[in-house]
Amino acid sequence: MKPAPTLSSAFLQPAGNALPGPLLRLREQRGTALVDMPLPTRKTENWKYSSKHLKLSDELATNLPAGSATTSAAEDGYRVVFRNGVIDPQASRLPQVDGLTVQRFADLSDDEASALAERLDNTLDANATQMARLNTARFEDGLLITLKPDAVLAEPLFVVHEVTATASGSAFPRIYVDAGRHSQLTLVEEYLSSGDQPVMVDTVTEFMVADGAQVTSIRLTAEDQNVQHIGATGVRQQRSSRFESHCVGFGGPLRRHDLQLRLEGEGAECKLNGVVVTQDKQHYDNHTCIDHIAANCNSEETYRNIAADESHAVFNGRIHIHQDAQKSNADMNNKNLLLSTGAEIDTKPELEIYADDVKCAHGATIGQLDEQSLFYLVSRGISRREANVLLTMAFINELVTQIPVEQVRDSANERLNRFFDDTFEEA
Amino acid sequence: MLSIKNLHASVEGKEILKGINLEIKAGEVHAIMGPNGSGKSTLSQVLAGNEAFEVTEGEVTLNGENLLELETEERAREGIFLAFQYPVEIPGVSNLQFLRTAVNAMRTHRGEPEMNAAEFMKLAKEVSKQVDLDPAFLKRGVNEGFSGGEKKRNEILQALLLQPKLAILDETDSGLDIDALKVVSDGVNALRAEDRAILMVTHYQRLLNHIVPDYVHVLAGGRIIKSGGRELALELEERGYGWLGIKEDEAAAAN
Ligand SMILES: Nc1ncnc2c1ncn2[C@@H]1O[C@H](COP(=O)(O)OP(=O)(O)O)[C@@H](O)[C@H]1O
Ligand SMILES: [Mg+2]
Repeated sequence: MKPAPTLSSAFLQPAGNALPGPLLRLREQRGTALVDMPLPTRKTENWKYSSKHLKLSDELATNLPAGSATTSAAEDGYRVVFRNGVIDPQASRLPQVDGLTVQRFADLSDDEASALAERLDNTLDANATQMARLNTARFEDGLLITLKPDAVLAEPLFVVHEVTATASGSAFPRIYVDAGRHSQLTLVEEYLSSGDQPVMVDTVTEFMVADGAQVTSIRLTAEDQNVQHIGATGVRQQRSSRFESHCVGFGGPLRRHDLQLRLEGEGAECKLNGVVVTQDKQHYDNHTCIDHIAANCNSEETYRNIAADESHAVFNGRIHIHQDAQKSNADMNNKNLLLSTGAEIDTKPELEIYADDVKCAHGATIGQLDEQSLFYLVSRGISRREANVLLTMAFINELVTQIPVEQVRDSANERLNRFFDDTFEEA
Repeated sequence: MLSIKNLHASVEGKEILKGINLEIKAGEVHAIMGPNGSGKSTLSQVLAGNEAFEVTEGEVTLNGENLLELETEERAREGIFLAFQYPVEIPGVSNLQFLRTAVNAMRTHRGEPEMNAAEFMKLAKEVSKQVDLDPAFLKRGVNEGFSGGEKKRNEILQALLLQPKLAILDETDSGLDIDALKVVSDGVNALRAEDRAILMVTHYQRLLNHIVPDYVHVLAGGRIIKSGGRELALELEERGYGWLGIKEDEAAAAN
C-alpha cells in the first residue's frame, strides 16, 4: 500500500519574527503538531471533491515576499490592506471610534498577545479545518479588532487581501474579531490578486460575538486563476447576538471556504447568504456548519451556485442541533444552476438533530435555465444573451441585493457582468 | 402582410399542423376558432418561433420575408407579437425591468435611443392604466402570482408597449370575467390600425362580440376546414362545432 501523502516539511518553516513572543510560540506549537499531517485525499469525506485540486507543491511553501507599500491610503472609507499576508499600514485608514481598537498582531503587548494566543483557533473545529491550523503555524501578521461593549462602528471596515503573485509562494492572513456586548460591526473582506505565478492564500477569520452584539461579515473572493484560495471563518455567538454573512465567490483552480458557526447563547440568530459563480475548469467548494447548542436560536442559510463550462461547484451544509437546543429554528436552502452540460454541482445537506422540539427545513435543487422563460423573453425582442442574463440574475438577485454595502454590490455586479460576457455569446 | 402556405408542424415527432393556408393583410382582424387540441396554440407558437415545434413543410412570409428563417427575437423585432395562452411566470425578474428591456431592444433595433428608467416608468404607468392593471404589478416578478386575468392584461400591456405589426392573441379571452373581457377588448381595439394585423385565437365566440373580426377560420385536426366572415362565428356559437363534422371532445384525441 502506498503511504498516505503528508504535508511537506517545507510548509512548516514560518517566516517573519516581528510577532510578540506568545504568538511566535503558538505558531511553533501548531507547526510541531502538523508534522506528518496527512493531506486530504478523495477518501477524506470533507475534501472528497476538492482534494485533487489542492496542490501543495514545495514552490508554494515559502511566504510571498511582503509586497511593496503603496503611497497613499484610500481617501474615504475605513480599510486595512493585507499585502501577501502582511498589513500595509500606509495603505490602511483606520476608524477612530470610542471603544474600537484595530491592532496589528505585531503591535500587541506580551499580555495582549498571550491572551490572543489562548483564543486563536477556538472558533474552529480542529479536525475539520487542518488548513486553518496551517495558517496558525504560518501567519506572519494579523489583525485584531476589538469592540468594547456598546461600541458601534456605523460604517463598514474593509479588509483588502491582496496577493502579488510575481513569484510563487503563499500568504497566510489572519483576522480575529472580538465583538463585545451589544457592539456592532460590519467587516468586508475582499480577496484580490495580481501577477500570474502559482500562489496559495490560506486565510482564517474568527469572530467572537458577545451578548446582543450584531456583526455582519461580507466576503468577496475574486482572485485570479493562478491562486488557490483556502479560507476558514469561525464564529461563536452568545445570547441574543446576530451574525450575518454574505459571501460572493468567483471560481479558481481551487476555492474553498469553511464557515463554522456555534450558536452558544439563547436567542442567537444567524443568516448566511452565499453566491458562487464558476466557469472554465474552475472549482469552488463551500462547507458550512451550524451548531445549534443553546435553545431558541435561529439560523437561516441560503446558498446559490452557478456553474458554467466544465466547472465544478460543491455545497456541503451541515446543521447540528444539540440535545439542549430546544425550539431551534433552522432553515437551509441551496439552489444550483447549471449553465452547461459539462458543468457539475454537488450539494449535500447534512442534518443531525438531537433535540425533539425543533423546526428544521432544508431544500436543495439543481436545474438549468427554463426554456419556456427564455422563449417568453426572446419573443419580446430581447436578445438571447440578455434573456440569459436576466434569468441568471433572477437566480441570485435576491442575495446580491441583500448585501448591505453598496460598494460590494457594485464589485459583485461588475464581476458578474464579466462572467456573463464570457458565458453568454452576443447574438 | 402574413402569408402561410401548406404549413406542417410537429412536436415530439407527432404532426399537429397538417397543411395550413392563410393570408392576412395589413389592417385586417382574423379569428381562428376551433375545438381544444385542434392546433391553435401550436400555430401561434410556430409563428412566434418556439423551437419546441418543428416545421416539417410549407412556408411563412412576413411582408415577403421568410419568417421561418428568423430567430424568435428577430421575428419580434420585425413586428410579430404573441400574447401567450399561458404567460410564463418569471420570479426574480421584475415586470418593469422586463418590459423596459423589451421596449429598448425594439427601439435599438429601429435605431431609436433607449428610454431611461424614469421615462419608461411614466409610459408603463400610463399603459397599465389603459389595461386596468395596478402599477404595483410593475414591481412584481414577471407574471409572478398574477391571477389568470392579470396575466392576460399584462400580455395586452406588452402588446400596447411594443406596438407590433402582427399581434397574435392566443385565447386572450379565456378566464376573464365580463369586466376584464371589456378591458382586454378595448386594449386590442386600441391596437387596430391600418398598418397592423391581428390574429385572434379563441375557443369561444364571445370575444368576437367586442372585437369584430373581418374573417373567421375554423381550425380542426391541424387544418383550416372552413373560412368565412364574422357570421361564421355566430353560426358556430349557435350550432357548435358538430355541424362541421367535428366532435369537440374527441378533437384532441383524434390527432
Ligand atoms: N409541447 C407539446 N408536447 C406534446 N404535445 C403537444 C405539445 N403542445 C401541443 N401538443 C399537442 O398538440 C395538439 C394541439 O395542441 P394545441 O395547439 O395546444 O391545441 P389548442 O390550442 O387548439 O387547444 C394537442 O393534441 C396537444 O396535446
Ligand atoms: Mg391553445
